[in-house]
Amino acid sequence: MSSSTRLRALVVDDEDLARHLIREYLQGHADIEVVGECENGLDAVKQIGALDPDLVFLDIQMPRLTGLEVLELTGRRSGVIFTTAYDEHAIKAFELHAVDYLLKPFSKARFDDALGRARTLHASASAAQAPVQAQGQGVDALVARRGAPLERILIRDREQVHVIPVEQVECIEAQGDYLAIEVDGKCHLKPQRISEIEEQLDPTRFLRVHRSFIINLAHLQAIERPGPDRHAARLRSGKRVPISRSGYEKLRELV
Amino acid sequence: MHPILADARKLLFYELAWLAAGVGFAALLRLDEQADWVGALCFTLPLALVWSFDVLSAYYVCRSQPYRQRRWPVTLSLFGGASLLSGLVFLGAGETLNYIGGDIVRGHAFVTMPSAAWVMYFLGGFALYLLSLLGHDVLIAFETVQDAARREAESRVLARDAELQMLRTQINPHFLFNSLNSISALTGFDPAAARDMTVDLAQFFRRTLALAERERITLGEEVALSEHFLAIEKRRFGRKLNAELRISPEAAQCLLPPMTLQPLLENAIKHGIRQVDGGGTIAVDALVREGWLHIAVLNPVAREDTPSSGHGVGLKNIRERLAVLYGARARIAWRRGESQFAIEINLPVDKETGA
Repeated sequence: MSSSTRLRALVVDDEDLARHLIREYLQGHADIEVVGECENGLDAVKQIGALDPDLVFLDIQMPRLTGLEVLELTGRRSGVIFTTAYDEHAIKAFELHAVDYLLKPFSKARFDDALGRARTLHASASAAQAPVQAQGQGVDALVARRGAPLERILIRDREQVHVIPVEQVECIEAQGDYLAIEVDGKCHLKPQRISEIEEQLDPTRFLRVHRSFIINLAHLQAIERPGPDRHAARLRSGKRVPISRSGYEKLRELV
Repeated sequence: MHPILADARKLLFYELAWLAAGVGFAALLRLDEQADWVGALCFTLPLALVWSFDVLSAYYVCRSQPYRQRRWPVTLSLFGGASLLSGLVFLGAGETLNYIGGDIVRGHAFVTMPSAAWVMYFLGGFALYLLSLLGHDVLIAFETVQDAARREAESRVLARDAELQMLRTQINPHFLFNSLNSISALTGFDPAAARDMTVDLAQFFRRTLALAERERITLGEEVALSEHFLAIEKRRFGRKLNAELRISPEAAQCLLPPMTLQPLLENAIKHGIRQVDGGGTIAVDALVREGWLHIAVLNPVAREDTPSSGHGVGLKNIRERLAVLYGARARIAWRRGESQFAIEINLPVDKETGA
């Protein structure tokens, strides 16, 4: 934590006054430079990618994308200070995973505390020490495990972000390190493990029928039997998806 | 509709009971040697069918004379007249049946009908209908009591929900804490604005608290409360939020349940303005036309935004509250266009006495 290392900060909040307050609180800290401000989640995704700031002040409740969705899309795990006015679920999760957060309205003293911790973490990150990893894991767990089932899937395609409501998803196929997500005859690729998304989806609406396939039950049209002891699901689009033996048993329980 | 006619199972059992009575009647006629078995059954079974429906009509006669609004001379003469008519119908149906079925088809009557029997049939029909009228009266009284109890319980639940909703609005934590954060920010560079915002926040909560205890308020009062709310939100969202309230003076005097307009504005900001990049204008129009109060709220929404469930829940709550207070006379409708959301409320005009 030497004064020669300047930290570059990004302030993300959809309220002008909230950003103004953070800028004001930062004025007393000569080692911190505000390099950008964003007023929505999409913009934050772009700016984090373009500026790679050392520190992000991130509001949770924002239009377009929530703070956690911003982290999911950018893969950013460290150097984040969450700000929120009120979000029971998020606060519980922050406590659980020991992630720093500021509750609005916050005092200058509380803000300085959080900033102090962020500086220490950043310094040890440069030296590749343990605490950073700990915080990274905390945020990782926060992003991966949200209380409620997933309502929309976010896909980043170069500069664009696609927001896909889960009810539109027909099926998901694991292809190497990627998921191929079928929506309206189009296929989107997303780097994620199938077991991870399986945990996030609502188990009453989505079923993993095969090692590498998850189907949306609302799009299931018929179960076919192409051979003895072999089953396949025909979806409304006409696409056929193989069903494993254990997948068939799970499916029979649900349908 | 008659409770028996509305239920196929009940109707079936009811008809079976009547047919059984018809068989019993036939047995009596046979015993009395007024007819042979075939003649008696051909006579009594169709008659039982006709009768089963005839007595049900008493339900509608009773309904036409709601108990509380009865003027007894009118009601008694109506009941008497209906019973007399029924007695005649009974007699006429029996005679016709006997004539067509017996004399024409079979060559001799189904049953012998001496003139003493005429009187019997007429009196029987008359008495039966009168009994049916009385029975239905009891049934309807019973239904009314049950209905009233159910409706009362329902409106109690809804009233409590509305109260809770109102309490929640009063301490909507998002709104409160974000507003405090804005005030905290303003104190640094615009103390006068911070003070104004504090006053708006206090006024909004004070008015909400006062209104929560009242069943109806004027639209004008609701608008005053909403203006404090909008003033706070304008500070938070800056140029993104504009509002145009066009309330006609006549509309401002109309009564409506408290917290009807403010939640609509809150929704319009949360699900509309806030999600649109450049923000936009919420337009509220209220006017009175032909005895109806029309309120329309229009706000822009983001194109790609999937209709979030939160919006629907809030609107359904308002719809239920209005239904409890106005029954079928209130209407609330909403429509999501490509880039805007429109809500329309129609209420019967109701003004404070003396206003």
